[in-house]
Amino acid sequence: MKKITISDPTLRDGSHAIKHQLTAEQVSRYCAAIDKAGVPIVEVGHGNGIGASSIQVGLSGESDIKLLEAARSTLKHAKLGVHCIPGFATIKKHIKPALDLGVDIVRCACHCTEADTTRNHITFVREQGKQAFGVLMMAHMAPVDILVEEAMKMESYGAEAVIIMDSAGAFLPNRIETIISRLCDTLNVHVGYHGHNNLGMGIGNSIVAAGAGATIIDGTARCFGAGAGNTQLEILVPVLEKLGYSTGIDFYKLLDAADLAEKELLQSAPRVKSISVVSGLSGVFSGFTKHVERISKEYDVDPRDVFFKLGERGIIAGQEDMIIEEAYALHQKKTGKPL
Amino acid sequence: MPKKMNIAILGSGNIGTDLLIKVLRSPYLKCTRFIGRNLSSPGMRKASSLGVSISDQSIDALIDNPTCCELVFDATTASYHKKIAAILKKLGLKAIDMTPSQVGEMCVPSINLKDCISYPNVNMITCGGQTAIPVAFAISQAQSNIEYIEIVSSISSRSAGPGTRANIDEYVENTESGLRQMTGCQNVKAILNLNPATPCIDSQSSIFALVDSPDMDAVSESVAGMVLKMKEYVPGYEMIVPPQYENGRIAAMVKVRGLGDFLPQYAGNLDIINCAAITLAEEYAKEELEH
Amino acid sequence: MNPKQLEMIKEDCSRIFRDPDRFSALKNESVLITGGTGFMGSWLVEAIAYLNDQHGFGTKLTLVARDIDRFNQNQPHLASRSDISFIEKSVRDLIDIPGDVSWIIHAAGTPDNRAHSSNPLDVIDSIANGTMQVLDASTRLSNLKKIVNISSGWVYGAQPKEMPRVPESYISGPDSAVITSAYAEAKRMGETFCSVYKGQFRIPIVTLRPFAFIGPYQLIEKPWAINNFINDAINGGPINILGDESTIRSYMYPSDMVNWILTVLCEGESGLVLNLGSPEGCTLREVADMVCGCIPGETVVISQTLNRKPKHSVFVPDISKAQEKLGLELSVSLQDAIKKTIEWLKLG
Repeated sequence: MKKITISDPTLRDGSHAIKHQLTAEQVSRYCAAIDKAGVPIVEVGHGNGIGASSIQVGLSGESDIKLLEAARSTLKHAKLGVHCIPGFATIKKHIKPALDLGVDIVRCACHCTEADTTRNHITFVREQGKQAFGVLMMAHMAPVDILVEEAMKMESYGAEAVIIMDSAGAFLPNRIETIISRLCDTLNVHVGYHGHNNLGMGIGNSIVAAGAGATIIDGTARCFGAGAGNTQLEILVPVLEKLGYSTGIDFYKLLDAADLAEKELLQSAPRVKSISVVSGLSGVFSGFTKHVERISKEYDVDPRDVFFKLGERGIIAGQEDMIIEEAYALHQKKTGKPL
Repeated sequence: MPKKMNIAILGSGNIGTDLLIKVLRSPYLKCTRFIGRNLSSPGMRKASSLGVSISDQSIDALIDNPTCCELVFDATTASYHKKIAAILKKLGLKAIDMTPSQVGEMCVPSINLKDCISYPNVNMITCGGQTAIPVAFAISQAQSNIEYIEIVSSISSRSAGPGTRANIDEYVENTESGLRQMTGCQNVKAILNLNPATPCIDSQSSIFALVDSPDMDAVSESVAGMVLKMKEYVPGYEMIVPPQYENGRIAAMVKVRGLGDFLPQYAGNLDIINCAAITLAEEYAKEELEH
Repeated sequence: MNPKQLEMIKEDCSRIFRDPDRFSALKNESVLITGGTGFMGSWLVEAIAYLNDQHGFGTKLTLVARDIDRFNQNQPHLASRSDISFIEKSVRDLIDIPGDVSWIIHAAGTPDNRAHSSNPLDVIDSIANGTMQVLDASTRLSNLKKIVNISSGWVYGAQPKEMPRVPESYISGPDSAVITSAYAEAKRMGETFCSVYKGQFRIPIVTLRPFAFIGPYQLIEKPWAINNFINDAINGGPINILGDESTIRSYMYPSDMVNWILTVLCEGESGLVLNLGSPEGCTLREVADMVCGCIPGETVVISQTLNRKPKHSVFVPDISKAQEKLGLELSVSLQDAIKKTIEWLKLG
């Protein structure tokens, strides 16, 4: 039976859905529940990873350190993971303190064409004797050949897995099949997949990824995550088991954890809203949704136009400031005068 | 025709070569040595084709002949500059450091040009710093109660060479320390995005400041004045979103289109740091002429 | 140059550009061609001049070549056009590319095997180092859209006898223990440089691996089989086959070559590697017979097998990838190519 390692970024990606306002208390409660269910990896921190708290992508209510301490003291079995984007986070200020506090896995992430920005960070984590994964974000924006090249770079830096992240929820199953197969044919390390639901493909794409050879799949409780939400964890696990994969997770306890998440974490149940479909189709990062909605309202422009404009420009995750530029430009065009 | 100040350029990569072309245009500066390690590198061949005296002896070229110049642009790497800063000092040579070494006094010409010429070693911070710090400074001049400042720079992937990519943490750290020093605000953050879109995006920066009920008229006036000052030495500097008060924060955006001397025009991020360094060197030269 | 020869070239161009819109990406753009005075370069210049004259493309051409006089001599009708300018340099001495260039065809690197064995170090230097200089200068262009790197079918090394057509996916290489591999190895190194610049600097690059060609502007005294046959035949025969008559080659006519190169320039996705040539392999004996058939009467074929052990090497590309990816086909048969070449040479 093929083994799939489930990685749960509920307490990281979910931050996007509540404007990065997770509390240490919430982290402890969810960690306790998910640890019991036997989920092997739990990711915690700001939605864009440790060190990303900023006006640009959203200021955290609670520091990453506080959240990680809460998780560390609760988790007995699961490994504690963090997401980390060079350019936002540095080794000195963010990675080292996280490792000192007991983080087991650092998922070093970058835009899917910029793997060489993760070299020092992956190297550092490995030198500290901890696990490092590479994450290629917004993977729908690059052709498969480039994804393979970038993944190989990460492998050469010492990444023990490379995760393909569908940050905009823009992938359709056929491309996932091609990309994951090519990566599994080429790499010697684990290949993983992180899905989003903008076009309703969260579970579907994850199953295709597993079938094509991915051995790490991400999912969040009740889809808790950026934009339309992630691959739903409590559906993903039983579906994988039904297909004959082994996850080592206790189904009932997983459902309990998901119920707890709904009660304790969610302000409103994530669903695929119209704007999320636009985000997926335009290929813009899911995490932009709340910013686009707010800024479009302020500038009195159609958020759908803003999304498509950003998509045309090839704006990547982390470039949230461009929302203001586009909204400002659209407003000027509409009214013929500056604000 | 005033007498020109003799300068040398250490480092024959893209930054050094682009600097050379700017020096050749300057009425105050004369490049007497273009120094690297490899005579067949594109920069060396370019310098040679322009009739500039070249050397592949690296720092030894200056140790052996310290009177060839009065000022050295160091366009090597941060770790190399840390090694040679003391040597340059001993040789009595002024240094303009293009690397994020954090050795010398930090300079943004539109903010502290006059102060810097009393220092023998001046650091040009980072490309993102040269672009965004002036606006942050202008906001801090108009507003004393800033809680937090953040600058976000987006540059095209192609303009970020292997050196920048390998030193992304140094970039962030140096930009933040420049931002702290110039604005006086201790709570700061710098972010760098590399965007691979084609055609290549122009380099641009956003400046955010958390301020309680700001005087936006004063902020706008101060920033507009700064943009004019920037245009004096960076022709491609442009405001794309003037200061806005949005969601409890001030936001403004600028972009820089490069001159396209040795580097592509979209690499405004590299152009601006060179324009700043030339402005500083010319200031040294002018000072010298007066005395 | 005989005006009738020019007519022939124009007619070939008119057939390439039946649908000029396919190349509209080049309109009002600046194109740099290295090796601008070679066989490929000459044809590309003719083709782009034709697009400018007949279809108002307004494309600007810059040619990098060592010997501009040769160009003026070979193509005097193109010598003083305002849309063509020159950089008289070897590519390995290139420092800058004009800032407005957005398309590059890197076709420098002589496929003349006489130089390959007489000055192999120079061949390696000009191909490998030259490719690196072009790539390095291209990283400083503001608006670079694509580079086509003209490599060589020889990068595969010896094509296995049991493989009638070599596909791009065949991974082998030249024998590095012999001096005659210098050209092929340098071309391979050039391809690796392209991969590195594509990976590290995101330079959009496609690579073409040309096989053999026959047609106008091909220097007929070059020591290749088909050239020899035609040369022999024009000079009144007999045709000599040196070596093994069962050696298999294929030949592409230059109008097809130009069509393929420009299509790949405009439409090829970065990272694409394609063979460039005809998939119709013929033995040298068959080729000689075809040449013979074009010149009625007097010419006979004499087969001289000098080697005791027949080598019958094969050098024929598989082109299914080019057909699949870009719908590229050949429009001129070998028979017609030979006929046209002889006609053109006779006019000269």
